[in-house]
Amino acid sequence: MAQVLAPGSIVVADWHRCNESKQYFSKILHRKRRRHFGLLEFPVMPPHVPVDTIHYKVFISGKSGVGKTALAARLAGLNIPNVHYETTGIETTVVYWPVKLRESGRVLFFRLQLWDCGENALRRFDHLLPSCKEQVDAVLFLFSFTDRTSFDDLSNQIAKWTDTTEDRVVKLVVGTKFDLFMHCDVAERDVKVFQKTWSLPVLHIGGEVSDGFGDVAPLLNCLTEQLWHQDCVTAGSANYHLVQETV
Amino acid sequence: MFGSGQGVALSCCETEGGGKVAWRVFQDSVMLIAVSGGGRHGAGSSKEEEVHLQRLLENVWNCMVLVLGQDELTNMRNVERLKRDLRSCFSIIDQLLEDRQEGILGNLTHCTDSLIPPNTTVIQEAVDSFAKAADSEFGCLIVHGRIAAATEKWWRLAPQEVVLLSALVRTLSGSGSASCDYPVFLPQGSPTVAHRLLRFHLLPGADVCVLCGPTPSLHRAETELVGRFWSPLVETLRDCLAVGERCLPGSVSLRPDVLALLLINRETRRSVSCVRTSTNHPPCAPLLPSKARCWELLKLFYIFSIKHYFMQEETLCVTPEERAHKTNTEDFVHGFSHQPIHCYLVTEECKSYGLQTPQHQLFLLIPLSVPTFALRTVATQTLSDIVAATGLSPLM
Ligand SMILES: Nc1nc2c(ncn2[C@@H]2O[C@H](COP(=O)(O)OP(=O)(O)O)[C@@H](O)[C@H]2O)c(=O)[nH]1
Ligand SMILES: [Mg+2]
Repeated sequence: MAQVLAPGSIVVADWHRCNESKQYFSKILHRKRRRHFGLLEFPVMPPHVPVDTIHYKVFISGKSGVGKTALAARLAGLNIPNVHYETTGIETTVVYWPVKLRESGRVLFFRLQLWDCGENALRRFDHLLPSCKEQVDAVLFLFSFTDRTSFDDLSNQIAKWTDTTEDRVVKLVVGTKFDLFMHCDVAERDVKVFQKTWSLPVLHIGGEVSDGFGDVAPLLNCLTEQLWHQDCVTAGSANYHLVQETV
Repeated sequence: MFGSGQGVALSCCETEGGGKVAWRVFQDSVMLIAVSGGGRHGAGSSKEEEVHLQRLLENVWNCMVLVLGQDELTNMRNVERLKRDLRSCFSIIDQLLEDRQEGILGNLTHCTDSLIPPNTTVIQEAVDSFAKAADSEFGCLIVHGRIAAATEKWWRLAPQEVVLLSALVRTLSGSGSASCDYPVFLPQGSPTVAHRLLRFHLLPGADVCVLCGPTPSLHRAETELVGRFWSPLVETLRDCLAVGERCLPGSVSLRPDVLALLLINRETRRSVSCVRTSTNHPPCAPLLPSKARCWELLKLFYIFSIKHYFMQEETLCVTPEERAHKTNTEDFVHGFSHQPIHCYLVTEECKSYGLQTPQHQLFLLIPLSVPTFALRTVATQTLSDIVAATGLSPLM
């Protein structure tokens, strides 16, 4: 039985609320909003505060309209489209996220490149999916709280990613449109059962975009934690104490 | 439809309130209909509105082909499916309808909005070698939504394709994404086989793109090529970005009495345009039109000129039969044995002057305070100033 890392067991949870994190988080802000980086740019710390940046590729999977593009925009602090436009190819979005490791106190910048591809485009053009899968480090499986079928289809989606070659890929499930509880189609109980069966972290997102990092921090911390953990396992150096929890 | 059954072509109709309906059938299969409310464009007359609508129809059709390919549009098997697939075009079509970005005139002129960088050669070499490394002959650098450099082959694409690709890149870039791999069909060059448009957001405001075949993958191009070719040029790119909406490098000094200009190179089908933000304007002088109004007036004057006096360069997406009754220029121009080379218009808001040479068309807005007899000098001098300063630039 696989195990789910307890949130906050590797990275400091809610670190964005600590005073000491300000100098790092200020690097991903510009005039109190999230800063947008071109590919040739990155957060620069003063020379006496050396920080490593590690790159990861994250694929966002889910049916059309579930909220893939909106999620990528939200995580990067971009304007969330309020109209649904099909994404007609692959679009990637870069998110920088500073993280403090619990054990060593070391600070890292995670550079997460989110890969979003419209479902129709994936179906119409064969080369897109392999391109999304190339050297991918994590997959976010999306379902929408307002669309039962998207939830029921999760197992099919995940099954496609469980070949041996993709064993090392970090998997996370994200429920979108959590704010639309009036139209909620997926009960909390069902989510619990699902989480138990698959032993995958399930997060939810939706609602007003907050000024700070409150709405995205839980997801980004969970994702970075899983990625870091996977890296350590792969490197065979998982000999630090993990507070693990069997679900 | 009744009319065409009888061999009559009706292309447009108008209501008393100035509303207009225009339509056109593409590839004998899809009819697009454009409706405008009328009275929206202030000074624009209904003739101008018609040019707008016809352009819009053509642009929208090209967008549909760009995203879906011609086959899917002409041999439709399942209308419901097509309707769903068409949603993929909505974001660019909305951009065309809103026509929001100031200073982008390509949708109207079918010339590529360009920006002349201060360091043309370095930028040109970088675009050429980047494209080559990406196994492509088609590459371009877009700064503030305008082309700053492109490979030779990029310019050989049909002008409307170049304009359309620029529009697509603006839409994609506007969403803030870092890179993309977009299947695109070229309405002229490749309406049935998709190419891949790879786009990389180098710096806010600067995107490089290549059109390529199956290789390289987006991941590989980004990790192996973008940094290698563009990291050493960050400062050069920042200098390009600094040119801003003026589109002309600092070495070109414009006369103080030019409010706005649009310069078209008729051979290369490229254009630069800018509106002055009024500097040290004497407070007692009559109020100048706002920046937004200047852009609007510039468009209206362009339409006015090509409608009445100047020829608009042929647009390639029109078949010869269609062209017979589709040109925007009125018949009396064709009736002339000579071509007007200068024209001007004085309105309550400003004076406008247009001139055309075999190679260029220039459209200027000039404050009312400048005497009408001086307009011609302002125009000819502005043209020669720009040509002299950018003469070596392959752009103009
Ligand atoms: N209320 C709410 N609407 C959302 C949320 N996520 C996405 N949407 C809306 O759902 C629609 C589809 O989202 P989009 O991200 O474009 O779907 P995609 O096809 O998966 O990329 C858009 O109109 C979004 O504004 C959310 O968390 N809450
Ligand atoms: Mg999408």
